Amino acid sequence: MKANLMFRDRDFDLKADPCFGKDILTADLELKRILSNMAQGDEMISAACSTALFCPLQSIEEIRYRQENLRDAFRNPGAVRQLYKITVETEKKRRSSWHWLSSSYLSSTFSGAVELMKIYTGMLMELRLIADSKLSGFQSEGFRNLLTMLRRELDDDYFAEVRAHLNDLKDGDGMLVSATFGNYLQGVHYVLRRKTRKDSWWRWHFAPSFTIAPRDEAGAADLGKRRDRAVNEAANALAQAAEHLEGFFVMLRNELAFYVGCLNLADNLRALGMPICFPGLLSTDSKDRSWRGLYDVSLALTKNAAVVGNDLDANDKRLYVITGANQGGKSTFLRSMGQVQLMAQCGMFVGADSFSAPIRRGVFSHFKKEEDTAMRSGKLEEELARMSEAADHLEGGALMLFNESFAATNEREGSEICRQITKALIENDVEVFSVTHLYTYAVAFLGDRQTQFLRAQRLDSGERTFKVVPGEPLQTAFGEDLYKKIFG
Amino acid sequence: MFFSILFPTREQHGESRQTDAPACFRDLNLDRIFAPVFQSKKGFKLEDFFYTSLHDPEIIVYRQDVMRELENNELRALFSDFSREIYDLGQYMNTIRSSLTSGDSWRSNYLTRGQMLDYADRYCRTVSALLDGISRLTLRSAGLRGFAEYLSAYCASESYTGLCARVKQLRDAFSTVEYCMLIKNGTIRVRKYEGQADHSGQILKTFEKFRQGVGKDYRHKMMQEPYAAYVEAAVLNMLSELYKDIFADLYGFCSRYLHFDDETILRFSREIPFYLSWLDFITPLRQTGLSFCYPRLCNTAEHLYDYDGFDLALARIEYGKTVVNDFALNAPERIIVVTGPNQGGKTTFARAFGQVHYLASLGLCVPGREAALYLFDNIFTHFGQEEDLSTLNGKLQDDLVRLHELLDRATSRSILIVNEIFASTTLSDALSLGGHMMDAFAALGAPTVLVTFLDELASHGPETVSMMSTIREDDPTKRTFKIVRKPPDGLAYAIYIAGKHGLTYEQLCGRLGK
Repeated sequence: MKANLMFRDRDFDLKADPCFGKDILTADLELKRILSNMAQGDEMISAACSTALFCPLQSIEEIRYRQENLRDAFRNPGAVRQLYKITVETEKKRRSSWHWLSSSYLSSTFSGAVELMKIYTGMLMELRLIADSKLSGFQSEGFRNLLTMLRRELDDDYFAEVRAHLNDLKDGDGMLVSATFGNYLQGVHYVLRRKTRKDSWWRWHFAPSFTIAPRDEAGAADLGKRRDRAVNEAANALAQAAEHLEGFFVMLRNELAFYVGCLNLADNLRALGMPICFPGLLSTDSKDRSWRGLYDVSLALTKNAAVVGNDLDANDKRLYVITGANQGGKSTFLRSMGQVQLMAQCGMFVGADSFSAPIRRGVFSHFKKEEDTAMRSGKLEEELARMSEAADHLEGGALMLFNESFAATNEREGSEICRQITKALIENDVEVFSVTHLYTYAVAFLGDRQTQFLRAQRLDSGERTFKVVPGEPLQTAFGEDLYKKIFG
Repeated sequence: MFFSILFPTREQHGESRQTDAPACFRDLNLDRIFAPVFQSKKGFKLEDFFYTSLHDPEIIVYRQDVMRELENNELRALFSDFSREIYDLGQYMNTIRSSLTSGDSWRSNYLTRGQMLDYADRYCRTVSALLDGISRLTLRSAGLRGFAEYLSAYCASESYTGLCARVKQLRDAFSTVEYCMLIKNGTIRVRKYEGQADHSGQILKTFEKFRQGVGKDYRHKMMQEPYAAYVEAAVLNMLSELYKDIFADLYGFCSRYLHFDDETILRFSREIPFYLSWLDFITPLRQTGLSFCYPRLCNTAEHLYDYDGFDLALARIEYGKTVVNDFALNAPERIIVVTGPNQGGKTTFARAFGQVHYLASLGLCVPGREAALYLFDNIFTHFGQEEDLSTLNGKLQDDLVRLHELLDRATSRSILIVNEIFASTTLSDALSLGGHMMDAFAALGAPTVLVTFLDELASHGPETVSMMSTIREDDPTKRTFKIVRKPPDGLAYAIYIAGKHGLTYEQLCGRLGK
């Protein structure tokens, strides 16, 4: 039995290796806020959403599969939350039952497995009841398959068969075991046998017999071991079934958790009046992007208010150079670009009116470290070291986000380093968004048709809109403004 | 007639052997070299053979030939499996014989007879497999050829073929039996099996649909050995009532073949590990590029050498980073005097010289690409304690006493390894004592390696060869661990080090002169 809500044909592995730079991305793109809003205090949701976010899908097919399921969840939020609740409930019951499968005594493994099977079969029944009543409301392949499977596999006859076995194993009339001779004539290949009518007590009564002495502990232990050997396979089958059911419930919980997380975030963004949409994805080799009302989800959640969005249609671009005033919304824009890419590639909705972009082979961020108080030279080295580490993982088709990188030295040096790195990246099919103050660096790409220049918008009045709009770099930044504003 | 794989004749095998490690073991780190070998072949009592150095070239060559042949991996695998199995069976059969002849039903029962059947079966399979394996090969060494001939004669003998046939007949009979036990409270009853269904299988099938990938295995590892042997024996006893003929056959077999194992084959299985364990030990070292060779053994010390030799005890730890060194002594040279920076591999070089000779005397292949080594009567070592100045006089006296003893017992057929003695006395004392020592060594004429900080000893006379541990030319703080023929120049290293700290004469003058 499989949940298959995250992938059409495979399990959702919470332990899957995250993409390179998970922690860096979390910090640079302020993803913690987004994840915690999805989780609403539920660690399982947090883990599931984090895994999904940091294992970006690489095929449009896979992404559409999740998008369809998520659309379905939006249509049936109550049922989805109810299913999730059952999986959480199951886990609670398992914990409070104090039964577990591993034990140094086979007899306790055996009885533990029997008890756990009782819990799981009860909860499976609850799942099936929801499937019975809610199936008709679902349209997506993922949810329909899951609910149909529950109804098909777990009919009443099956529950009866399971109960019969659980009862038979408690039989106290003695255990029937067959054996053959081992290499030195010891009994081997013990097989637990189901007694038949022929095994009536009087036929066995006249068979040769051996009875251990009343206080013979070794003999009693020996008989116990014989029983263990006979029941070994049955106990294993039961324990594995219990383990597999535990796995099924965990899997179901993990996969539902993602959708519940999405429901939570969507609810909260809607409450702030922020738009959400399902992104359109293009193949990796595309160089087109377009967005309307793209905003920084994390910022909206942090401010708990509506925030400004950006618009652009970019065709055949591989480099975006963003310049302009400090505090003008450049970093926010860059963050939103990283967030939207990761969210889109895990099958989520995104924070925008509309959005389309190519699938990217990984998102990489390289942000200037604000808190770094080391000496300048050390800082540049640290930046280069970080870049070098990222370069170990970069490949064509990736998305690289620079935020004032390599500025920890004079402009000429910084520009040259940055130019060489950027040039190498874009010529090797890495898409680059670069927020920079390095004028020399920025203008080096003037005239390149595949470069899109963007600038933090400033109205004629000098006021900032916090929007990023097309515009070539200007020689001066707007630090003076800020100075004036702060120092009056 | 073949007797032993370690000695050409039965008489040589009978000569007494050393039961304790020779005195030089510690200083030469031979104890460390052999420890893993002994460890891997515990119980085989190989120690004596490794403790007893040989002086008869005939035996050494006999062993070298066997070992050279065993370098063939296929052949080695064949004997390795065989040796372990036959050795174990020999031990087991000793126990079985004492049980079956005890007349005690607690020990002498059908379970014990079942074990004997099993051992006989394994013995036959192992012996036949070996015959099968070696009959496909052409053996060249006298030792292995002798054994092969013995084995094929043994396998053709009527007693062996009879044994094999009886074992098979019994096995076939027992394999047809399947019985049922009804275990209830404290009683076991037995009957023949009557086709009752497999309950576990049914359960497995019912729960199959919940399977997610490969599950954890909850089966407990059940001992194949019954927990209480006497219960198993009782079950067999009951079964002997249900299957009378088969059990009667087993009883007859056990009295007839109680001593089925052959003494010469058992001895071979105990002794072949001498070679196998050594080859197992050196194989990983060879894979790191180190050479081993079969040295020529010389009756005179006119021309001794070993190219690309190394300290085996160290190589085992360094794994892959071992530096190899050459030595050659051409008459009239007898004494190698090693000087040079500390921690530069001098002691290692001296040890390697002793090791290679000792190992060669056992008939083993030895570190080096090509070697001619001395057929010695004894190896004497004298390793002083370095850098312990706390007990100056006591040490010096001790050094001298030991040196005296050594010179007393050594002959021109001996090998001497002397390491850093007189380190704990004044330089003038050390020089004059060292001079006396060199006179004595020169007079003795035995091949000698002397490690010393006294450069002067390296030019004592025509019998001395000066060798030095060296440092890297581009970075004088790094040792190369190469020991080369070179006159001593103890100052060079100190100047490099001083230069590094800006403390050479010129530098210090420059700094002080401002």
